[in-house]
Amino acid sequence: MKKWIAAMLAVAACVGCRREEIETTGPEAKAGEKITVCLLPKLKGIPYFTSCYAGAKEAADELGDIELIYDGPTEGSAEAQAAMIEKWTLQGVDVIAVSPNAPDVIAKSMQEALKAGINVITWDADSTVGSREFFVNQATAQAIGVGLVDAMVNDLGGAEKAQGDVAIISANTTAANQNAWIEHMTARLKEHPNLNLVTIKYPGEDQNNAFQDAQDLMKAYPNLKGIWGITSIAFPGAAEAVKQADKAGQVLVVGLATPNDMKLYVKAGVVPSVVLWNTQDLGYLTVHTARALAKGTLKSGATEIEAGRLGKKVIAGDNVLLGDIMVFKKENIDQFDF
Amino acid sequence: MRALTAKLKTAGWRQEYVLVMLLVVLIGVAGALDPTFVTARAQLKLSENIWGLAILALPMTMIIITAGIDLSVGSTVALATVTFGLSWHQGVPVWGAALLALGVATAAGALNGFLVSKVKVHPLIVTLATLAAFRGIAEGASKGKPVTPLPDAFTQFGDTFAGIPVAAWVFAVLAIVCALFLGRTPNGRFVYAIGHNERGARFSGIAVDRILFLLYSLSGLLAGVVALLYAARRNTASPEAGMGNELDVITAVVIGGTSIYGGRGNIVGTCLGILLIHETREFVRWYWSSDELNLIVVGSLLVASVLAHRLLRFGKK
Amino acid sequence: MSTLSTVDSPPAGRLRRFADGLLVLARSREYGLLLLIALTVVTVSIKSPDFLDLGNLRDILEQAAPVVVIACGVMLVVLTGEIDISVGSLMGLLAALLALLASADRCAWHPAVAILFVLLAGAAVGACTGLMVTIGRVPSIIVTLGMLTALRGVTILTMGGENIKNFPAMVRFLGTGEVLGLPVDIGVAAAVVILTGFILVLTPLGRRIFALGSNPHASELIGLSERTIKLFVFAYTGFLTGVATLLAVGKLGNVAPSMGKGRELLVVTCVVVGGVSISGGRGKLRGVVLAVLLMVMMRTVLTFMEMGPEATKWERAIQGAFILLAVVVDHLASRHHGSGR
Repeated sequence: MKKWIAAMLAVAACVGCRREEIETTGPEAKAGEKITVCLLPKLKGIPYFTSCYAGAKEAADELGDIELIYDGPTEGSAEAQAAMIEKWTLQGVDVIAVSPNAPDVIAKSMQEALKAGINVITWDADSTVGSREFFVNQATAQAIGVGLVDAMVNDLGGAEKAQGDVAIISANTTAANQNAWIEHMTARLKEHPNLNLVTIKYPGEDQNNAFQDAQDLMKAYPNLKGIWGITSIAFPGAAEAVKQADKAGQVLVVGLATPNDMKLYVKAGVVPSVVLWNTQDLGYLTVHTARALAKGTLKSGATEIEAGRLGKKVIAGDNVLLGDIMVFKKENIDQFDF
Repeated sequence: MRALTAKLKTAGWRQEYVLVMLLVVLIGVAGALDPTFVTARAQLKLSENIWGLAILALPMTMIIITAGIDLSVGSTVALATVTFGLSWHQGVPVWGAALLALGVATAAGALNGFLVSKVKVHPLIVTLATLAAFRGIAEGASKGKPVTPLPDAFTQFGDTFAGIPVAAWVFAVLAIVCALFLGRTPNGRFVYAIGHNERGARFSGIAVDRILFLLYSLSGLLAGVVALLYAARRNTASPEAGMGNELDVITAVVIGGTSIYGGRGNIVGTCLGILLIHETREFVRWYWSSDELNLIVVGSLLVASVLAHRLLRFGKK
Repeated sequence: MSTLSTVDSPPAGRLRRFADGLLVLARSREYGLLLLIALTVVTVSIKSPDFLDLGNLRDILEQAAPVVVIACGVMLVVLTGEIDISVGSLMGLLAALLALLASADRCAWHPAVAILFVLLAGAAVGACTGLMVTIGRVPSIIVTLGMLTALRGVTILTMGGENIKNFPAMVRFLGTGEVLGLPVDIGVAAAVVILTGFILVLTPLGRRIFALGSNPHASELIGLSERTIKLFVFAYTGFLTGVATLLAVGKLGNVAPSMGKGRELLVVTCVVVGGVSISGGRGKLRGVVLAVLLMVMMRTVLTFMEMGPEATKWERAIQGAFILLAVVVDHLASRHHGSGR
């Protein structure tokens, strides 16, 4: 009994004896040292964010004075994001760039980082008011939801001709982004009363489930005209199911994905539209914004920012705008490689 | 009897020595690589990630000592969280909502306890089923959406009290109570007896059913407590709460020297197990910024620690 | 089981014996499952007659194929008194391996070589697990829990954050091809079931597997090699996980790092609901197969029930409650049948 108490005290002593205060780097990075930029995606290990990272790396290599750290939750957990932000705060990095899974969960951690003198920006998705300095904005949830519906309506022949059953295949019931998009999609669908949203399926992250769901949807709803696959798992899963059921062109599959992921299906006529934006440019712009902020060249109130090969980018309020949503189709998908 | 006790003691102590040694080595290496990691400030902040799991590990230790298991704790946390969030959202005053959440969580644990003790279904199977059922109810009732933000009067409990996180205080109190229960009360000894030989314990007149029922209900209750602590800390009541917690907790308890076959284990070992997992995970996260690496390390640590324990005991079962 | 009465006159006595026999059969566990399946099918067919379409039934069987293959392996493991909850993560790892070796975008090995490699790798990992359980004497729940975490980490690491596609025709054939009108994946699954059944019922190995689970100590006394048998069942499960991976990847033509996530939960549930005792030594293969059909069918059934966009959020709760119900009913039925704890 006594022995282990002594051992515990020894461990505690090792921990407690170092009482040095850690120095945090302020807004002006030390001259000659690299600027640490921590790129925190919603979910590590899916092609969407991997391509954002590719763009970010490109910027970091070009600029030369950036130490880019890329890490994120492999489970997409907001809790894990908060823990990572707190760790980086303790380590005293220069900039944290986060794409939040659940803005309210990490808000406190982000504010503490700001208080510690770290620059905090968001990219891809925004967080709560007062928790970050700038938002690198490529598309709001509303724009995405509306874009998805409009693309489908367009592919079905336009607002007058589009009619029939449609369905959405998501991931988990708790997936915050997907839920936000679905909200805006259902709102937009109200403008098309001839399109009937029959159901929303939640296959989780299992692609076999997504495949099965798409298969079942086609059988259960004979009047099915379109399926949205709104995750990088559901989209190819649904497309494959439609392809194997020989319903390419009869049941349209639309969703969000990197063009490389869906090229085969687009060319085969299964998927008429892939909605996205240039993810590599997003990562690229994020790093440029991070650096400008760290160096002090970007201050609140600025109306534009110089971003390397992207040229001048407009800043609206505190949103650094990337550009418009893109729709990849058979005609133009070959131009893109990400 | 004395020989048996002596044998048990040496068997148990060795694991704790191993753990302490591993911890000292880990802290030493970590400190050498990056002194910032071992500062009190950093450690205190990082510890906030672990108190919830630590609390869950207390009833889990006792359950595993009875040769049982509770895979549903993570889902019970979610159920309690959603109960809390939804009822407050519907207008129930926040402390009423909290009580309701605790009640639901205890009821969930009681369901497990009932099925295990009275209906006599194997605990692995029961809690495997309730893991799915509870999580599903949490998701359905909340429609997948979290309730946020929460009132300040509540979230202040997610902060610190006298510099130490509130959750740490809660854990400390609960740990002492559980340790005293297990080590110093007759019922505590009965818990070990059930693990050693349930049938024999029954024949000896021990109220096995009642003890098991209470243990699983306690697991539910504490899952509710953890749910409230999580919600207070992160200012959100989300149906995703507690996801994966059960595996982390079981890992910690087993690393701490509690035998999965039952009959052996203690709270001190569990505390050390939690500490080891926590420090390992935080250290890997700190130094390598790679979440997938963490998965590999924690998984391997679990197997390695039990393997090492077995080797140290030179083949004794 | 009621006693046979000799007081009754011969014809009535024979009738009563027949009725008793029927009742016993009705209470047997597999018939309980069959009843559940029948009830579910009837319910959904009333709502959506399209469910009974032959194409739909075939699709369900195809979806069940990879699951039943792994379940055969896990069943053997549970029969020996152990458990394996790492199969989902192993599936992910093997899928990643297959993708890295066979995909035209990566190493582009000859598909037959890649397939063989994957099967061997599966068996090898299974054997590792087996070694840690038998020689290392680490409880199987611990080993496979550790594997579940660690292997998933390795999978994510090796896939580098991308989905891998472009699989050769031979791999796709396993998941989507047909031979003489029979889908290949269903054929492979059937072959595995027959093989496993053969092992269990007609070989000494099978008897030893049952014996180990019923009474490990007695088996040791008799001189059965506990280690070899357990090593075999774990390696077999690993191998079968490889087979299931081939079927699943063949069907999808796409591998993401999350492949196989959560499969272990499904498989263990099927094994348990199928009537295999978790303490080992008891269980019937046909029960497991029926349980797999039931659980896989549930997904499709829920879609055909045509619940609106709001109600689908409750699907997981429905499935969970269903599992709970099935487990309790199965347990009560087994106790009633006289083989209680």
